[in-house]
Amino acid sequence: MQALQSSIFAMREYLSPVLKESKFKEHGRITPEEFVAAGDFLVYKFPVWTWEKGDDSKARDFLPREKQYLVTRGVPCLRRAQSLAYTDADEDAERLVSFGEGAGGAEGDEWVETHAGRKASDNPGADSAALTEIPDDDGDEIARGVGGLSLGGQGDSGAAALDTPDLDDIPDMEEDDLEEGDEATAAKPTPAPSAGNPTEALRSNLLQVRTYDVMITYDKYYQTPRVWLIGYNENGKPLTPQQIFQDISADHAQKTVTIEPFIHSASLQAASVHPCKHSSVMKKVIERMNNSVVAEQLAQQAKSGPSSATTPGKEKKKWFGRKSSGSTKEQIATQEGDDEPEGMRVDFYLVVFLKFIASIVPTIEVDSTTSF
Amino acid sequence: MPTLQFAPFSSVVSPAFWHKLTDLKIDVLKLSDEAVPITGTYTAGKSIFDRETGQEVLLGTGFSVGGESFDASSTTSHDESTLPGASGHSGNAVTATGSFKNFNTIEEFKALDKTKYFDEEAQKIWDSIIATKSTTELNRFFVITFADLKKYKYYYWFSFPAFVSKPAWEIGEGSESWKSVVDVLSRDELASINAQLRAEPTLPAFFLVKRARGGSQGAPAIGKVEDYETFFTDVPTSEVRSSSLPRSIRSLASLTKRLRRSSSLTLARPQRIVSFIDPSPDPQNPGWPLRNLLAYLRALYPESTTSVSVLRWRDTEVTTPTPNTVWKSQIGTVYLKEVEGAAAGKRPSAVGWERNPNGKLGARLADLAPMMDPTRLAAQAV
Repeated sequence: MQALQSSIFAMREYLSPVLKESKFKEHGRITPEEFVAAGDFLVYKFPVWTWEKGDDSKARDFLPREKQYLVTRGVPCLRRAQSLAYTDADEDAERLVSFGEGAGGAEGDEWVETHAGRKASDNPGADSAALTEIPDDDGDEIARGVGGLSLGGQGDSGAAALDTPDLDDIPDMEEDDLEEGDEATAAKPTPAPSAGNPTEALRSNLLQVRTYDVMITYDKYYQTPRVWLIGYNENGKPLTPQQIFQDISADHAQKTVTIEPFIHSASLQAASVHPCKHSSVMKKVIERMNNSVVAEQLAQQAKSGPSSATTPGKEKKKWFGRKSSGSTKEQIATQEGDDEPEGMRVDFYLVVFLKFIASIVPTIEVDSTTSF
Repeated sequence: MPTLQFAPFSSVVSPAFWHKLTDLKIDVLKLSDEAVPITGTYTAGKSIFDRETGQEVLLGTGFSVGGESFDASSTTSHDESTLPGASGHSGNAVTATGSFKNFNTIEEFKALDKTKYFDEEAQKIWDSIIATKSTTELNRFFVITFADLKKYKYYYWFSFPAFVSKPAWEIGEGSESWKSVVDVLSRDELASINAQLRAEPTLPAFFLVKRARGGSQGAPAIGKVEDYETFFTDVPTSEVRSSSLPRSIRSLASLTKRLRRSSSLTLARPQRIVSFIDPSPDPQNPGWPLRNLLAYLRALYPESTTSVSVLRWRDTEVTTPTPNTVWKSQIGTVYLKEVEGAAAGKRPSAVGWERNPNGKLGARLADLAPMMDPTRLAAQAV
């Protein structure tokens, strides 16, 4: 069913014409050229983003060959979106949580979750809220050692390790004698991960953070950018769809965010935020941004206005302009045209877009554009 | 002095890598288990500010491979053809070359003489150091895999061979231990280094920094590690070697030396700086690439590298430096004790198998069934 839907969407996108006219302030939509311009700006300003060309067979001809989509890798995600929603909600908040098709419960089961911000979810594979006590589902020995060592002693990292079968545990494939000759040296020059020395405690929060690869493509049908996510756990293992949904705000998970074939790859699946509402949201955000930008530009003009008037040359010019009767009106008109504030430029579109995406995936630090 | 410890790489394998591997296995490799050249990337170590706790969280020293890793030509064609305008590079990742070897059965995967295979790979790095003096192989890595295509399970084991220094490198204490780069280099110098790095066609994994004669005023120069000797010819190793100077200057030199000693700026102004893009955000432990860089310098220039000023460059994301820019790079001096009769030119032993999440030496498993298996994808689709 979903495959059918996907192919219908793909067909629809194929048939829809390429947007030619710039409409970004009116509709929140952008043309491919504007997408490239905004992407170039993003890449220039924030080198964490790069252009990718993707799969040759999937190349979109309305985009430059080398600039098919934008990607940033290793975007950190410190905690789950669920926990974020709860910490600023009231302490005794109760909520129906549907674990749906998750590994945790039978289909359609609903649970009342209380104090959710305080404890880890029952869902296997879920991580707890606080960073220091992330019980990574792989029973990381570092975490266990550290948990017992110093930090808080919540002790649930050890408990959580028992919860889930360890996928990485391939007993007959461990060959700890492989570097026997180097063992002594490895202990010294390489930080032995399980050695319980004090520096390890300091680095306790290392390696326990999920990371995401975030891609931005151009959706021709909706004429907006579209975001795709591929997640990894703290050991660099790909996340399952269920785990990815933990990082998406409850309003969007499994509603507007779905797992779909990534459009620039023949086979890759990625979580994607469906772009059907992007343009209307972007329009609102842009309007607000634009107003403030225009106000700022007007303020700047007002500031520079009087100062320029004091310069004798300019004054003279004006004087002349006024003297020569008849042209006065014209001059005012042209001057008005010059002074019309430009407002927000389309280059900023993706910067704004990222801020909007950050609201959908609140815990993924996708918005590195803090200077705006 | 404490022993210098290096933060090992941890592999991050994009699902696209497994997809490409699957295609390659079915369409090209078939039953061949020959090693195939691939590339991987790493970026400067990142840390982020946790908005809730206000703590700085260090991220892992990730080493990524993805679908593009199989484009064997990507290392050679990357710098010219794919980049717009050819002025400066895009992205902030360092590309490393390596190889990948896929086995047909899990038994073969297990049965591989891993010590021997590792040794051969390490030898390649050593040969490149001795024979070509090239630094391109210093980050060489390899990965062995077994792909259970029907179950969407991929067993893999990364290795980043690095030479073990005996005796071990030590990090200086006090003013010579790792400290923020702004304590040593001026902001103008950092901005200049940053601008020069950005102008390079690709981000260099290793580079040399030579400070201008006038101290912090002039712009520092950047050079290739391959040109170590020529680049640093006019730069004294650590302190002014007074005997090689004319008498009048010698007295001046000793005077300034005395002056320097009396001030707090003792030796805080190294002239020869060896630098690398540091994938480790850990303030204490520099990243893995430094290991082979130091082995390289020891092997080729043993007389001038018993102490090395190391710049751990992490500011690859700075585009337009301002006076408020927070420079994350660190600088420190590392030392190696002179040992009598140290066999010169002999290959040191190497380590580098990646440990699994349990901290053991062992293969890892990527289970992509949730993201690849059509039946499971259909089940979760809305």
